[in-house]
Amino acid sequence: MSNMKSREIHLAARPDGEPTENDFKLVETDVAEPGANEFLVRNLWMSVDPYMRGRMMDRESYVPPFQIGEVLQGGAIGQVISSNNPNFAKGDYVNSMNGWREFYVSDGMMVNKIDPSMGPIEANLGVLGMPGMTAYAGLFKVAGLKDGDTVFVSAASGAVGAVVCQLAKAHGCYVVGSAGSDDKCKWLEEVAGIDKAINYKTCGDLDAAVGAAFPKGIDVYFENVGGAHLQAAINHMKPFGRAALCGMIEQYNDKAPRPGPNNLIQIVGKSLKLEGFIVSNHLDIIPEFYAEMSKLIASGKMKTEQTIETGIENAPKAFLNLFSGANFGKMLVKLGDDPAV
Amino acid sequence: MSQAVNRQIQLVETPKGKLGPEHFKLAEAAVPTLSNEGELLLRTRYISLDAANRAWMQGATYRDAVESGQVMAGGALAEVLESKAKGFAEGDLVFADTGWQDYAVVPAKAAQKVPHMEPETHLLSVYGVAGLTAYFGLLNVGQPKAGETILVSAAAGSVGSIVGQIAKAAIPDCHVVGIAGSDDKCQWLLDELGFDAAINYKTQPVHKALKEAAPKGVDVYFDNVGGDILEAALFRMNLFGRIACCGAVSQYDGAPPAAGPRGVPGLIVTKRLNLRGFIMSDFPTEREKALADLQGWVAEGKIKVKEDVIDGLENTPAALVGLLAGENRGKRMVKVI
Repeated sequence: MSNMKSREIHLAARPDGEPTENDFKLVETDVAEPGANEFLVRNLWMSVDPYMRGRMMDRESYVPPFQIGEVLQGGAIGQVISSNNPNFAKGDYVNSMNGWREFYVSDGMMVNKIDPSMGPIEANLGVLGMPGMTAYAGLFKVAGLKDGDTVFVSAASGAVGAVVCQLAKAHGCYVVGSAGSDDKCKWLEEVAGIDKAINYKTCGDLDAAVGAAFPKGIDVYFENVGGAHLQAAINHMKPFGRAALCGMIEQYNDKAPRPGPNNLIQIVGKSLKLEGFIVSNHLDIIPEFYAEMSKLIASGKMKTEQTIETGIENAPKAFLNLFSGANFGKMLVKLGDDPAV
Repeated sequence: MSQAVNRQIQLVETPKGKLGPEHFKLAEAAVPTLSNEGELLLRTRYISLDAANRAWMQGATYRDAVESGQVMAGGALAEVLESKAKGFAEGDLVFADTGWQDYAVVPAKAAQKVPHMEPETHLLSVYGVAGLTAYFGLLNVGQPKAGETILVSAAAGSVGSIVGQIAKAAIPDCHVVGIAGSDDKCQWLLDELGFDAAINYKTQPVHKALKEAAPKGVDVYFDNVGGDILEAALFRMNLFGRIACCGAVSQYDGAPPAAGPRGVPGLIVTKRLNLRGFIMSDFPTEREKALADLQGWVAEGKIKVKEDVIDGLENTPAALVGLLAGENRGKRMVKVI
């Protein structure tokens, strides 16, 4: 297999503010022959996620930074095409963090087999993968969701937000989500079945819109955005309200931290809890997560939207689209045809 | 009832900016009488002064806002003069929101019976709202562990001074850092109260001073002030740090700030911080244990109780204005009789 070529995306430069295509470089490499106990994987799908922007900066965070001139990393689903490892057979589907490349050789470390009967294989990058687990961990472990709570979700049609919305609905909650287009809002209300969607770009005063949507206040806020959304949520949270802080997409490209909400004083007056979290600290949820999600998927109560780019060469574009809001639901890059063998 | 009148201090105008004595006036009214079952007639003994008094003027919080034209609200240690309520008798001591006046009629269900003790001022400091707030905020909300670094702002105040001492008494090998507004207060924290480090926020940038004062970062921040100091703390918090949000005294007295601390929500997410607001009454079932612990630490000399008693009801407005300016050390209260 020494004559096989793989293409991969390297970090060419650390983005300064908004990333551009020039920060990425498409590189062709030789595919190595799998050695003893190794196997070769052809990637079929890869994920682009907002958190990757943080890893492009040279700073301390919850995962080490990407290095310039090296291949990027991220979630990917592939298929084993040849194997010298008894635990991985040709044809097995696998989930790994070896995205942004077409092929890789592994000894099985940090590579997990997936069960293609649970849903489409690419769902393991979305509702059945890290975004779905993030939604689940944030709602149940961090925010302590109770049946019947009133729930506000920002970036509600995104990969995480859409799962948050539908999980909360499945638990009898009143759910309001915000999104950045009428199409997304329509999908949230008509397909995902939430109670009300707010188009934050056209609603005028976001604080007033959130207040009107929650006449009795908010029990749980699932934060994906930061800024005005967090401020509005704090203003309208009920006493003992809980906020799960998952991300702040509108601020990932900032060159310096911007000021936070000016109403944090309400945290004291209303005994609020705000907690930041990362899904990897809550992996104990996995069994209950699969149990609940597979039921919801099977009964048609977990709708998914995805935006797909095709070809490794379009992965940077897919990533950049996350920040312009051009994606709808989970953003994926299709790297090859299924099956690969 | 030898005193024929009930002196009252009314809020005459809701302050827009800094609170001043001109926002209050002293008035006289008839001593109220009991008419309804379930009520108590109280004689105010010591009025508790708290930064929260100022926050109540800004709008509804955990209680209704105090409006202009009303007797200024405030908790006090009071004696029952007459009772139409089961379980309360003449001569009992209670903690209740009497407001800033000599006499008040309050529903018994809003009064907390407290034991007679010497000195009775301790019922407003270490065994009152200040001590219980420090206890619950540090131990129940902050959940410090052995060897961790604990930071407290307004550290020379009624709550902060007890927070640091509880930490030293209850958490083995902890490193306690206090932030206060004068060199004298900082010296007092170090020499008398056993803090490991102290920062005078008026003479040095807190974010820089924290690097030296908390070399291993901050695990638990007991926030009494909000604003810029909260921001500085956010940047020094360790992963999975806890912030007990007790007050925001920097935000009470004046117009609301244009912007909040940088790093919200970014640092909260990446460091997986937990910010939790609370008030003392959120922990009713743990009150007995808290009081027993506090009494133990006071008896062992592990908590030194500092009180700042101002004499005379008429001086209450100036005493609150001074408290907001940071002139007190330890718990400030007004002796009414």
